Amino acid sequence: MVFNSYTFIVFFIIILILHNLPFTWKMKKINLLLASYIFYAAWNPPFIILLWISTLIDYFVGIKLHQETVKAKRKAWLFISIAGNLGLLGFFKYGNFLLENFTLLCQSLGLDYHPAKMDIILPVGISFYTFQTLSYSLDMYKRKGLPEKSLLDFSLFVTFLPQLVAGPIVRPDELIPQFKKPVTATKQQLLQGLLLLSLGLFMKVVMADTMLSGASDAVFDAARPLPAVDAWAGVLAFSGQIFFDFAGYSTCAIGIALCFGFFITHNFLYPYAAIGFSDFWRRWHITLSSWLRDYLYIPLGGNRKGNVRTYINLMLTMLIGGLWHGASWTFVVWGGLHGLYLGLEKFIDDKTHKITKLVLTHKKTITGFLYALFTFFLVNITWVFFRAQGFKKAWDMLKSMFGMQNGDPLLSTLALIKVAIVIPLMVLFHWLLRNTTVVQAAAKLPWWLVGTIWAVMILLLVWSQESTGSFIYFQF
Amino acid sequence: MPTANLTKAALLMLCIVVVSLISWEYMWRHKGYDRGFNDDVGLWRKNRLKVYQPQNEATVFIGSSRIKFDLDIPTWEKTTGEKAVQLALHGSNPRPALVDLGNDENFKGKLVIDITEGLFFGPRPEIEMNQRVQYGQEASPAQKAGDQISFALEHQFTFLQKDLFSLNAMLTDLRIPNRKGVRGDIIFPPKFSYVTFDRQEILTDTFVKDSAMLRWQTDIWTMFGALSDEPGAGGDTLQKILEEVKTAVAKIIARGGKVIFVRTPSSGGYWAHEPIQYPREKYYDQLLRATGCKGIHFQDYPDMANFICPEWSHLTKEDAVEYTQALIKALQQQNWFSNPRK
Repeated sequence: MVFNSYTFIVFFIIILILHNLPFTWKMKKINLLLASYIFYAAWNPPFIILLWISTLIDYFVGIKLHQETVKAKRKAWLFISIAGNLGLLGFFKYGNFLLENFTLLCQSLGLDYHPAKMDIILPVGISFYTFQTLSYSLDMYKRKGLPEKSLLDFSLFVTFLPQLVAGPIVRPDELIPQFKKPVTATKQQLLQGLLLLSLGLFMKVVMADTMLSGASDAVFDAARPLPAVDAWAGVLAFSGQIFFDFAGYSTCAIGIALCFGFFITHNFLYPYAAIGFSDFWRRWHITLSSWLRDYLYIPLGGNRKGNVRTYINLMLTMLIGGLWHGASWTFVVWGGLHGLYLGLEKFIDDKTHKITKLVLTHKKTITGFLYALFTFFLVNITWVFFRAQGFKKAWDMLKSMFGMQNGDPLLSTLALIKVAIVIPLMVLFHWLLRNTTVVQAAAKLPWWLVGTIWAVMILLLVWSQESTGSFIYFQF
Repeated sequence: MPTANLTKAALLMLCIVVVSLISWEYMWRHKGYDRGFNDDVGLWRKNRLKVYQPQNEATVFIGSSRIKFDLDIPTWEKTTGEKAVQLALHGSNPRPALVDLGNDENFKGKLVIDITEGLFFGPRPEIEMNQRVQYGQEASPAQKAGDQISFALEHQFTFLQKDLFSLNAMLTDLRIPNRKGVRGDIIFPPKFSYVTFDRQEILTDTFVKDSAMLRWQTDIWTMFGALSDEPGAGGDTLQKILEEVKTAVAKIIARGGKVIFVRTPSSGGYWAHEPIQYPREKYYDQLLRATGCKGIHFQDYPDMANFICPEWSHLTKEDAVEYTQALIKALQQQNWFSNPRK
């Protein structure tokens, strides 16, 4: 089920009504859990079993990690959790990728190996919920908090429907405590939640799908060289599309959770106003970058083992971050580019401290804006690898973008105008709002302006009629 | 923002949205637009589920747009007592639908296959028809539920016709000139047609009476190659197509199903060039020979041979009624029906 569908609207109204009826708190949590399972099963019912497997493994491992004192046995329990979660992920997401690369390796060694391709469906959200439950087991291993005794609360943590299929990746200590006391949304929270839900849907349906996806898809699907204008328009369109699509989903998730009285952490904070890449990763898919920082980068040593080791740790973390997105070497290269940028930035900043200074001032200066634009430019280069279906297409795109090859124009004038209007406005909005949030910004506006903007978003949403297109991050 | 202000904002939003939507709907109805349905994957799937009806209760139709316009479903159902299950898709090659029905062990019904040579024997990759076939097989429970809600809403609101009134459709209609070499989106004349819940497509009266609109449409057909004399697919390509069709048809007949081909009318520029591009002997007749099936070609029947398609390709609503009656008569001669009413 996707948020931008009639089915979800009806479903959401029903569960919201149920949540506000005078049931016991336990009953309400059961309703939410069942609703979450229905939400997931509405895509493909049998894959509920994977959710159960992930839930049960980490529930019991968490308890065992707390009870066990022998180090070797604790490691064994942790291994079960890691193997279980990453095993599921590895099979469903990387099964064919691993097989293809193993086949290539065998053939390069002269071995005649031609296995049949496995017909594996990628379960929606698997990258998200496995990382979410894994963070619980890792926290229990580090003795960060007590294990959750209630299977109901733990199951709800794993499957909470707003963030189940595309994040934000929520930490156990952020969400589970909220299940302990009865909560329904106040009027303020309900209205804020509905406003955020409207905004999220507007971002996805109007901005990503209606305004930008056409240009992006046309350019990246083109089987011929393109002129620079078209290539850049397509890449910029994708940079906007992926932001509006993914941030739109996260905004919907936060809004939906708020409608039930729950708080979910932000996942985006105007990333295209980032000054440098450290800043970018504090603003883009924040919950993934903080997960990778806490459970990969820091355990690898972080920046505590000298400069060389820091660069290696940065690169490893970003390569794995790239691979998390998809079973393809282009995603790894995407991650590697970010690792390279982060390394270079650290190298320059260690010597000059200029970048850190700009980021920490919180002031919006011209210099800061220019650095932000340069960061945005470099991010767009990485998006080529993220979106392209293979390296050949990625190279062709880059060659077109930098005028090293030419071709017949592809995009209509309308498509170019859409990109030319939406992308600069997006970058400008990011810059203007980089130190605040939507809710804080809306609170400063007169009520009639908020109401009018809200109405315009809803009307454009209805007018777009681009319903049921799935979110980009569902494929990760 | 204080709760009271947010409440006022929400109420203002509701007022603006409700008033705007009512006005929007009223405006399009007032301008004479018919209530129609989006001919999307959901509507196609709804019909696809109906193919399993017994032979004496339904006939399934596949093809491109001509049979969608030319088969008048109310006339068919009233005259034959059978349902018409319309699976044709405009601008598309019906072969993926045929292969799908051929591979469906549970389909044992009657199938009418309409031939528009340029599409049936054409090399175009069939994205839209393949999407429908795939959706028919793989729609999730949520998508199926969403389709039902869509249908209910589309029954009530004219403005939900996406191809006419969506934001992208209206932006495209601004007709901003493109750079040289860029084809851009094809813009059909306003009020060209509408689609019923049964997936019949109907030319509107407004369109049919407007010579400028008719000229606009024939210009589009010309752009699509209606006046071309370039020969159609031949050699190995044609043989592969014939083999694919023959295999699918054979599967259906082996299960007790019935298959017949029809060639619906065309006129004007299309009929002047189609026989040159796709000579009957080489394509239509060879298809019948390869499959062993009968065919009903409009040229062979006096009560079908003289229709004029106002824009060369599709019949008006009134002519569709007459054509349907003629088609039923021709099918009766082929013992198509077992229902005593016929």
